[in-house]
Amino acid sequence: MPIIVNLDVMLAKRKMKSKDLAEIIGITTANLSILKSGKAKAVRFSTLEAICKALNCQPSDILEYTEE
Amino acid sequence: MKDNTQILTIITYAVLLSAVSVLINDIREFDLNQFREFTNWAKAADKNDSWFTSENAIEWSFYAISTVIFFWRGYLIYAFYHFLPILREIKKGNYFSDKNIKYFKKIGNIFIWYTINVLVLRFLLASIGESTFDFFDELKHEFTFLIPCGLAFYILAEVFKKAKQHKEDNELTI
Repeated sequence: MPIIVNLDVMLAKRKMKSKDLAEIIGITTANLSILKSGKAKAVRFSTLEAICKALNCQPSDILEYTEE
Repeated sequence: MKDNTQILTIITYAVLLSAVSVLINDIREFDLNQFREFTNWAKAADKNDSWFTSENAIEWSFYAISTVIFFWRGYLIYAFYHFLPILREIKKGNYFSDKNIKYFKKIGNIFIWYTINVLVLRFLLASIGESTFDFFDELKHEFTFLIPCGLAFYILAEVFKKAKQHKEDNELTI
């Protein structure tokens, strides 16, 4: 998929663990893992909003578009 | 839903058992009466007649075709049997599983092939002079409704395929 999820990078920058982020935004660690691995087919605006709020970043910091 | 599947499973078993018993009874009657008549006739038949045009061959064709019709009836019962694994999957909560899609397609296939083959066999029976064949009359027979039924199962399989895809998409929406 040409959309890359840079959640790992943002988590490292904010020195936050996946488990903690999952708890803050209210999703399971399994779902967060799906999102991090790029297997997710879609992201809800509410989830994106919660992630941006928890990591204090913009959606563009998490999602990136690259040509295939 | 679980209670409904239980009732549907019982009804399917009842249909299967009655269909199998009717088929077995028909086979038994066919063997005991018609086949015995044929063997008696074959013993008395003129052996000097050429094989292909002889009444012997025609009679053989009639019995062979009748046997094949029994096979197809058995195949139709096999289609009904596929309702059971579908109901089992529904009971487990796997509504849009690959198995269900496969079985729907299989049932559709069997319904359509059964109708086409039985129509062809009845035509052959008529052509060897054992019965009359009128295409439009045959279409009025109940079994011809199996073609729209078969198509309905194909459509259902396609709908379930799409539903499965949507379900997967939904599960992968975070």
